[in-house]
Amino acid sequence: MISVTALHKRYGDKIAVDDLSFEVRPGTVTGFLGPNGAGKSTTMRLMLDLDHGSGQTLFDGRRFATIRHPMREIGAVLEAKAFHPTRTARNHLRMLAAGSGIPAARADEVLDLVGLTDVKQRKPKGFSLGMAQRLGLAQALLGDPGTLILDEPANGLDPHGIHWLRDVLRSLAAEGRTVLVSSHLLSEMSLMADELVVIGRGRMIYHGDVDGFVRRFTDSTVLVRSPHADRLAALLHGSVERLADGALRVSGTDAGTIGELAYRNDIMLTELATQTASLESAFITATEADEEYVGGAA
Amino acid sequence: MSEPASEPLALSDALRFEWVRIRTLRSTYWLIGAALLLNVVIALIAAYGTLNQSHAPEFVGAIVTGGGPFVPIPLAAVFLAAIGVFATGHEYRYGTIQPALTALPRRSALLAAKLVVPAAVALVVAVVSMAVNAAIVLAVWGELPGLTEWPVDETLSGYLVLVVLWTVLGAALAQLFRGVPSALVLLLAVPLLVEQLLVQLSYVDQFAWLGPALKYLPFMAGQHLLDLGGTSDVELFGRWASGGVFAVFVAVVLAAAWTTFSRRDA
Repeated sequence: MISVTALHKRYGDKIAVDDLSFEVRPGTVTGFLGPNGAGKSTTMRLMLDLDHGSGQTLFDGRRFATIRHPMREIGAVLEAKAFHPTRTARNHLRMLAAGSGIPAARADEVLDLVGLTDVKQRKPKGFSLGMAQRLGLAQALLGDPGTLILDEPANGLDPHGIHWLRDVLRSLAAEGRTVLVSSHLLSEMSLMADELVVIGRGRMIYHGDVDGFVRRFTDSTVLVRSPHADRLAALLHGSVERLADGALRVSGTDAGTIGELAYRNDIMLTELATQTASLESAFITATEADEEYVGGAA
Repeated sequence: MSEPASEPLALSDALRFEWVRIRTLRSTYWLIGAALLLNVVIALIAAYGTLNQSHAPEFVGAIVTGGGPFVPIPLAAVFLAAIGVFATGHEYRYGTIQPALTALPRRSALLAAKLVVPAAVALVVAVVSMAVNAAIVLAVWGELPGLTEWPVDETLSGYLVLVVLWTVLGAALAQLFRGVPSALVLLLAVPLLVEQLLVQLSYVDQFAWLGPALKYLPFMAGQHLLDLGGTSDVELFGRWASGGVFAVFVAVVLAAAWTTFSRRDA
């Protein structure tokens, strides 16, 4: 369990993280979302005592700095290519293992787990971003920790790699671990995350399950097809949009109400389907007011 | 759940981390090799160059310490100081400060390890270098006059102190500047340019007032640890007091580095 309480960070006049509090529960993958510059990385750095600010983060009730071997409890990767370019992948992990009371042999185990066994003796200066991300995940898993904090781990991974990462993180969560992962890949996050923490300009926008986020920040609509669409449209009280193929998109009314209305008025329906908005559209709606870096129209 | 952190335990973890870090960098071996080779070359040239002269103990002191007081900086120590520079500077250059601090969040322990391990390596290399150079002198001259007598004995001790101070200074400067290039430039530019310029200026009448202050120039004072009893145009403190001047300079830089490392974001 990660308990974040009143995290605050200021750079001069700019508030990067503004009184942020949330919890990350074990057994779930929690997605950490926000527009560019929202303060996601700064929040993670504050949680790990890499940056100085106010507030407190507790990992199973303890502050990060009070844990003797944090890598054995919290696996964290905030930058993909945080390694010396001429130290082999294996030695990079052995170095961290040496400082964390972890047997050196564990380096080979996690390199095998992330699929880097063949290149473990190679200098990582030639690693692609995807390989670097895998090395980062190996680093996070080195101490077999109960908590994982990963900043944009899917960046640079190919579709197979993303699918693999999703499976790995979900299986780690299924083992009861606490997983906090930030990502810009919203479609991926919708498949991976159970819970979301969404921030904008350092402030909390939403904390809860993924479905709740989509429901809260989008209006679901009902798609209706009928040979008597005009009659049905006249009876409906909600907002009705007529589509090019003759179908109706109805908002403000649920499918059950529309079906009952059609039944009572002897109107035949050929299709009645609730359409839920995507995580991406919910994200755009939720964060558009907090978007810090907005480009002009082309 | 692992045990709570404490400073002694954190330091032992950090020392293990730093030992593996320094061993797994190829540059460490290149720099050690360069330091040893440079001193060997100096020893061979100086020993053969003075083969037909009187074998004065001062020559022994200078040859065994890779030039002694006859060079403006301890040449091999510059390579060993680079090991110190890389110990802290590489962490910022390659972003490895983040994984380092997520493994070892006690910053004081991590920085202490980054001073102790390179300094210990430099000390061992300096001892080996002196032994090799002494063997070269013995092989070429057939004797080692005055090696264990004053002032050579104190010069040898002073050399070890100087090498350690240079290495610690390298690590402290790179930590203070959070990078490699600035630290290396400062390590070379101050003793070879700034201090030499101040010495030359002190010979000009308008700047004669600089003369009494020259004894406080840190690198020049540090180099006086290798004093072999010769005369100098510059008035300096005695060997160990001069060494103290350099040590105070190193301590001030280190204190600044330590303070900023503790307070800055990583």
